[in-house]
Amino acid sequence: MSISDLVLSLADNKQLLGLRYAEWATRAPSLEADIAAAAMGLDDLGHSRVLYGCLEPLGHDPRGPERESDPASLRGLAYFDEPWDSWGQFVAANAVLDTAFTLMIEACVNGSVEVLQQRLRKMLLEERYHFLHGRSWLRSGIDAAPLERAWREAIEFFGPPDGEVAALHREGRLAMGPAELHEHLESRLESKAPSVKVDWKSWDSARRRSHAGAIDQRTFAMLRGLEEKRYAPPGAAAKA
Amino acid sequence: MGARGVSAGYKRVSGDAVEYEVFARKSRVDPLHHVGSVVAPDDDLAMAYARATYDEERWCEMAIVRKEHVIELWQPGEP
Repeated sequence: MSISDLVLSLADNKQLLGLRYAEWATRAPSLEADIAAAAMGLDDLGHSRVLYGCLEPLGHDPRGPERESDPASLRGLAYFDEPWDSWGQFVAANAVLDTAFTLMIEACVNGSVEVLQQRLRKMLLEERYHFLHGRSWLRSGIDAAPLERAWREAIEFFGPPDGEVAALHREGRLAMGPAELHEHLESRLESKAPSVKVDWKSWDSARRRSHAGAIDQRTFAMLRGLEEKRYAPPGAAAKA
Repeated sequence: MGARGVSAGYKRVSGDAVEYEVFARKSRVDPLHHVGSVVAPDDDLAMAYARATYDEERWCEMAIVRKEHVIELWQPGEP
């Protein structure tokens, strides 16, 4: 596991988070929240493109041809496998997971890898508004189930105490390790994480999750551009 | 189910919705000018909504103020 693997995990997660946010652009509790969902979705899709663009300068691009055919080769968390069916899921992702990703980006920006220091800094400015949005909605109260799940997946995303994120922290390439990331997440969200026991032996270090499974076929097809082709007029492909 | 059926149970109960006026400018030499308004239950969410709603320009500054904090000197039609 290299820092490129971690950046690819961040990129895939940001892409899927952006897509899931965008799905709520007409379903949130108010027009303002609709617009915020759309704006945050655009931000995170943009962030994912910047992150993918860091792989080449990092000297190692872990993306293989299996990403064209196998949804389980993508490195998103299980939280993004299916579209969310409640606003509580949106808020838990916005408050907990989006902030967890931001903290990992902070760890990259304040670490010793130059390309990450330079290219990821602007994301932190945009993420400030995602955080304000998520924390405000979180304060107003949501169901416990999505919140606990988001916390569990954030802790899995940070990784085991003696894993590669901890090693990257010791080497100085990341400014924070799993313990610091966890502590900062609690501090930002003004709450303690629920008691979570992770079986790190069954944890997938590439996908940073314990749960098997993958994104739904429709989302996978959309990522590959196949959904757009379904709506193209007959003969469009031939003309192109 | 209505368009907002899945989120209808979520009401902002932390306070009554408050109207905020949004001001912005594109460069240091421009004055801040009024670009619109947002409704939100608290300052944090109002900031997030203002940034999301009025992000069409590359503003160098954006500020919000609670409408109730604006002190009016006079209104249209008054002497």
